[in-house]
Amino acid sequence: MSPQPHILVIDDEPQILRAMRTILTAKQFKVSTAARGEEGLALAAVQPPDLIILDLSLPDIDGLEVCKRLREWTQVPIIVLSVRESERDKVMALDSGADDYLTKPFGVEELLARIRVAQRHAVRSTGAKQPIITTGDLEIDLADHRVKQRGNLIKLTATEFKLLAYLASHAGRVLTYGAILSHVWGPGEYDHVEYLRVYVRQLRKKLEADPYQPRYIINEPGVGYRFITED
Amino acid sequence: MRLQKKDFLLHWPDTLSHPLMAALVMLAATGILYALRQVINPLSVELLYLLPVGLCATVWGLDSGVLAAILAFLGLNYFFIEPRFTFFVHRGQDIIVLVVFLGVAIFISQMVGRTRNSLAAARARERDAIRLYKLSEELAELLDDRAIVLCIAQNVFETFQASRVEVAISDKGRRDSISVTLPDGQPPNLEVSPHTAMRIPLQSPEESIGEIRVWRMLPEWSSAEERLLQTFSYQGVIALERSRLIQAETRARVLEESDRMKTSLLSSVSHELRTPLATIKAASTGLLSQTVSWDSKARNELLLAIEEETDHLNLLVGNLLDMSRIESGALNPDRRWNALDEILDSVLNRLRTTLRNHRIEVDVPEDLPLIYVDDVQIGQVFANLINNSLKYAPEDTVVRIMARKHDPDTLMVQVSNQGPHVAEDDLEKIFEKFHRVTSSDRITGTGLGLSICKGIVEAHGGRIWAENLPEGFAIDFTLPLTWNGTFPQVPEEYESTAAHPGN
Repeated sequence: MSPQPHILVIDDEPQILRAMRTILTAKQFKVSTAARGEEGLALAAVQPPDLIILDLSLPDIDGLEVCKRLREWTQVPIIVLSVRESERDKVMALDSGADDYLTKPFGVEELLARIRVAQRHAVRSTGAKQPIITTGDLEIDLADHRVKQRGNLIKLTATEFKLLAYLASHAGRVLTYGAILSHVWGPGEYDHVEYLRVYVRQLRKKLEADPYQPRYIINEPGVGYRFITED
Repeated sequence: MRLQKKDFLLHWPDTLSHPLMAALVMLAATGILYALRQVINPLSVELLYLLPVGLCATVWGLDSGVLAAILAFLGLNYFFIEPRFTFFVHRGQDIIVLVVFLGVAIFISQMVGRTRNSLAAARARERDAIRLYKLSEELAELLDDRAIVLCIAQNVFETFQASRVEVAISDKGRRDSISVTLPDGQPPNLEVSPHTAMRIPLQSPEESIGEIRVWRMLPEWSSAEERLLQTFSYQGVIALERSRLIQAETRARVLEESDRMKTSLLSSVSHELRTPLATIKAASTGLLSQTVSWDSKARNELLLAIEEETDHLNLLVGNLLDMSRIESGALNPDRRWNALDEILDSVLNRLRTTLRNHRIEVDVPEDLPLIYVDDVQIGQVFANLINNSLKYAPEDTVVRIMARKHDPDTLMVQVSNQGPHVAEDDLEKIFEKFHRVTSSDRITGTGLGLSICKGIVEAHGGRIWAENLPEGFAIDFTLPLTWNGTFPQVPEEYESTAAHPGN
């Protein structure tokens, strides 16, 4: 990665491009912008960026299509921008390779947090897998299947552990219901959201200080779950 | 054949009994006159014979009258004109008397008979007029196509003493297809009995609407009856056309109303959008101004104002989009099994900054079953209800969210606050678009929040209503706990002592 990370923003709204360029440049990113999908694809091929911010509604080609075509040749982190009403689009974008999403209108802090998570994940997936994930007062040992909270061993069922391990190893990123269910229960169970609701409730009871105001496992309405690390 | 014979017998009194009766009357009259022949002046006999002739014509009609006249002529000739007991007449004078008598008798019976027949016709016309009057009176009160068709069928059934009546109107895109058959239940067997059928179209000026079909036992349809049935059909068409026009007018009025609503929405929305825009414009131009040097606290105030007003605008636009989707029927909840506490948690997180002036109490049992809903939309319901509470309830009061399993299939949710009561008459109206209970300037909003809640809850098969509590105000709603009659099934897993999936 170059000392100054390169971000490509693909959005047809000039005011958004202007604001993004100003904010991201001030945060020491190198920023390039594209107003159309084809232009963005070409730019990404010529000057491979470290991260792409992609609006889902573009004038020429669908943002989903851009996402799929990028994924044919690159694993660069993609954050999609969408509006509140289109949860289905968000899920489709995530399932066709996007790493995360932001709902318009969004705050700068939110944007920067998403960029940080995406960058960290990109580093992690290229490097060796961490056998132990530590976050807040939790310590999750992936190799030994153990979870400790403030040094105390927490008893989890096999499925609970599998779920926690999958969420925690993608810490900070949103995971769709379908992705979690396919991974933990098997591809045939991808639409049994009820399993997920029940097991998330059980996990929260065991891990969270207040299960009604969870700190670790956060619900993303209509999309999935996100495991939050404290940093 | 046998049946036709029976039918003939059924009607024989009309065709045969009247002349027979007339003959009997004439026989009796002849007997009486013959008995009194010594007392009565022979000249009076001719006049007295006219009396029963007139009587027969009056009572039994023209044919019987003419028969009576001929019998009187013969009786007069046989019993009273010399030579008696023969039909011979000797005197030329008597021949003239007899011929004149026959002429007068036939003339009288014809006059009387015609009067009688036209009286009968007038009575029949009156009966028809009364039936028509009854039909049009009944039809005048009806606006529903099905009721109109039923009314026509019933009247035809009674008036023509039918065995079976079918009235059908067809769908031409302007009204629904309706078909009524009388009597209900088992139809009479139209094959074995001698039935005659009659079809009359229901014909409006532009098109054929449908048809009346009548079957009945003999006799054949007279042209008067056919005309009456035709008139019934005209009356029916008029009633159906009137109902169609009224329906069209209602539709037009609804459209007009919806147009008025849209205009009202536009003006309300423009006003609502301009308020936050004014704040944003003032704050941002202030910050850009070269002439003022802001201290960091003031700068922060202005920036916070911009942020808050942006959120406000976002909420407004979200509500407008929701409303338009509800209006166009494009709400399409994306349903899946959801936990109510998770939905609430996301909403409260989102509203955190606006909640700082009130206390929020969440009373949701830990073991509440899952609900099959669109979590984003139900989240929107909670956000609107909480925002509403924040708007009307005084600061530092409690906003309480409670959920309970009401019965095995229904979840009941209540969002209550310590705000002012709403007049009983307004409790239903607050769910209408643009309805706001107070006209206070302090309260802002498009008046769409609660109608959106209603749209979403109803799209989920639930119900929503408002109630005054002893110490505040509450909105309640229900959500189904089952989907197609089933509860969520989650595979059981026994708590193992160690967390080793391989073991």
